Amino acid sequence: MPKCTIDGKELDVPAGTTVIQAGLMAGIEIPHFCWHPDLAVDGNCRMCLVEIEKMPKLQIACNTVVTDGMVVRTTSEKAVQAHRTTLEFLLVNHPIDCPVCDQAGECYLQDQYMEHGLHDSKIEPEEKVRKRKVVDLGPIMLDAERCVLCSRCLRFEAEVTRTNSFEFVNRGDHTQISTFENRPITHNYAGNLADVCPVGALLSHDFRFKMRVWFLEATDSVCPGCSTGCNIFIDHRDGEAHRLRPRRNPEVNKSWMCDIGRKEYKEIALDTRVTVARVRGKSGWEATSDPTALDLLAERLQDAGSASAFLATPQATNEDLYAFRALAEKVGGMLDFRVGDPQDKVRVREDNVLLRADRNPNTQGCLDQGLGRTGVKEILAACAAGKVKALVLQGPELLRRPEALEAIARVPFVAVMATHEEPSLERAHLVMAAAMWAEVDGTFTNYQRRVQRIRRAFAAPDRAAPRWQLAAGALKRLGGSFPAATAREVFALLAKSVPDYAGLDFRALGTGGRALPERPDQVATQEARA
Amino acid sequence: MAARVVTVNRDTKPGIYPVLIGMAITFKNMVKTMFGRAAATIQFPEEKRKTSGRYRGIHILTQRLDGTPKCVACYMCATACPAECIYIEAGERPEATIEKYPTRFEIDLLRCVYCGFCVDACPEEAIFMSRENDLVGTSRAEMIIDRDRLMERAKLVEYGPGYRPTDHDVRRPVRIAALERLKHEHGIVPGPPSR
Repeated sequence: MPKCTIDGKELDVPAGTTVIQAGLMAGIEIPHFCWHPDLAVDGNCRMCLVEIEKMPKLQIACNTVVTDGMVVRTTSEKAVQAHRTTLEFLLVNHPIDCPVCDQAGECYLQDQYMEHGLHDSKIEPEEKVRKRKVVDLGPIMLDAERCVLCSRCLRFEAEVTRTNSFEFVNRGDHTQISTFENRPITHNYAGNLADVCPVGALLSHDFRFKMRVWFLEATDSVCPGCSTGCNIFIDHRDGEAHRLRPRRNPEVNKSWMCDIGRKEYKEIALDTRVTVARVRGKSGWEATSDPTALDLLAERLQDAGSASAFLATPQATNEDLYAFRALAEKVGGMLDFRVGDPQDKVRVREDNVLLRADRNPNTQGCLDQGLGRTGVKEILAACAAGKVKALVLQGPELLRRPEALEAIARVPFVAVMATHEEPSLERAHLVMAAAMWAEVDGTFTNYQRRVQRIRRAFAAPDRAAPRWQLAAGALKRLGGSFPAATAREVFALLAKSVPDYAGLDFRALGTGGRALPERPDQVATQEARA
Repeated sequence: MAARVVTVNRDTKPGIYPVLIGMAITFKNMVKTMFGRAAATIQFPEEKRKTSGRYRGIHILTQRLDGTPKCVACYMCATACPAECIYIEAGERPEATIEKYPTRFEIDLLRCVYCGFCVDACPEEAIFMSRENDLVGTSRAEMIIDRDRLMERAKLVEYGPGYRPTDHDVRRPVRIAALERLKHEHGIVPGPPSR
């Protein structure tokens, strides 16, 4: 454990730590462009030069391993002068594009200029080397003039996706990055190129000109796109999500997320959202209030008793599942959650990076809470035999499946919690408006059995409510007790009833989530089903 | 015209005397107005009051030679705006050197406080203020003016330009303040490295 001193702070760091990492541990950010925590060290930008005692020349912090007794100065006159000189070189051919550049506001170059530079350029704008601008590479826009040649994109392509799309072309100050013959980026991780680019050379096509980043508010969340559960930021403004960005979690997604996940936000603002509950009356659908809808649901469940069936959805949070399970147990009906194949493939990788075959964020949570009980086939058989008087669906997945339609048609009362309008909702008798993942607090359990927080970024449209509130409302009307008014309290109840979750609460989950011990029996059952 | 400071003695005892003084002032002003042509009122709207060249009236969007807006939709004005009255949507221009322009640019004149920060913030001299100040409308929606109305030249000719940057150095004081702060707080003195 080498001990070092950075800017007067004494630190004890693990062996092999570089100066730049040690600095971050001490809360000292050494300016850098090419260094990235999840990419190999390259050391080409020379921005992170620091003064180290007993070394005659300045050293780059990203490629200097901390040794015992090292004394580092990052803000000494020599170091600051080096930062300013390096920055001036990087800015020699940089265009004055900040007003039109989408990176402005989260640009390393802009930040460093404000922090260390603020010099007047010695180069007239007309003398700058012109390079290619506005090159459309599919999901990514390339502007070679803005590039600082840090090679982060090259290393990302080489190390993470192994596609090697980018290469440097030309020499000297005419060097620029390019794909072969300007071919578009075709892999599923293109969005990360815009994220790793410290400047505005690679920008997202989807986010292009949508919003200036300083207007956006970031909320920590977890991507609902698959069972990997990548940690993300929801960037939103005035109740509208504008983009999703990966949030670094070395245990789950490092600094990356896939493009399929990035598109998840588009579902939220669609105008096909279910915003109020509705019930099938004599002359078609009638909009109704939540209390009336829950009264009806409770009444039908009371009549049905054990002749009822409940189908949870792995799209729901652990809190939703807990409340739903409590409702099913109160009524005493059949309970399961698996619809179709994907849920059997929680751990199956679709590619070698992040994406998994199971496109549900919380299948593991369903398994942990023991929701896989009766079996969907058995439920459908009971429906077909006319033994089910009330079917409650936490999501509309079952209504979409052709093989289930005949059985469902024989059930006299089908209640469904839905987020979006779709033709299959016509098969239900009661539709309740459910809030989406960005609009609720809660937890997802990913394929590794890591419980992770999702946070409410903005309000759900109109009367849409979290699914656990709907289930809890019905439960209370049936005389059950549900002593929780917030997701935090529901999770506390859940932690008491599910053994592995014991002792957990929202505070304990923190920002990175909490890994639960692997349970071999559960894994085995999953693999057997897969 | 500098304002005159008048000291008034308010210790006057009540009675007929102050009333007479008041009457005398009124009569004096009446004579002035009738024969001296020194009325304080003007015949608006036929006649308009003169405003200074820095008057902050309704905004104007400047244009390029080809008639397209000079604005590059950088949102600096919307960022600086304390009233949050500027709404911009950006679109793509065919020229790679300009890239961006506003497809929508709307100012809610009922929210606007006419502070002129948008003019100060603009890096392109794309927005400045005219001296137009007589704004009427029958609904709130009417008072949200769009890009085409902001680019209308006729009104500018009629009223004349108001608050606008005269040259680049208008923003210089801001930059100097930033440099001072940097020197003061971080001890960094920008400029070429000193020997």
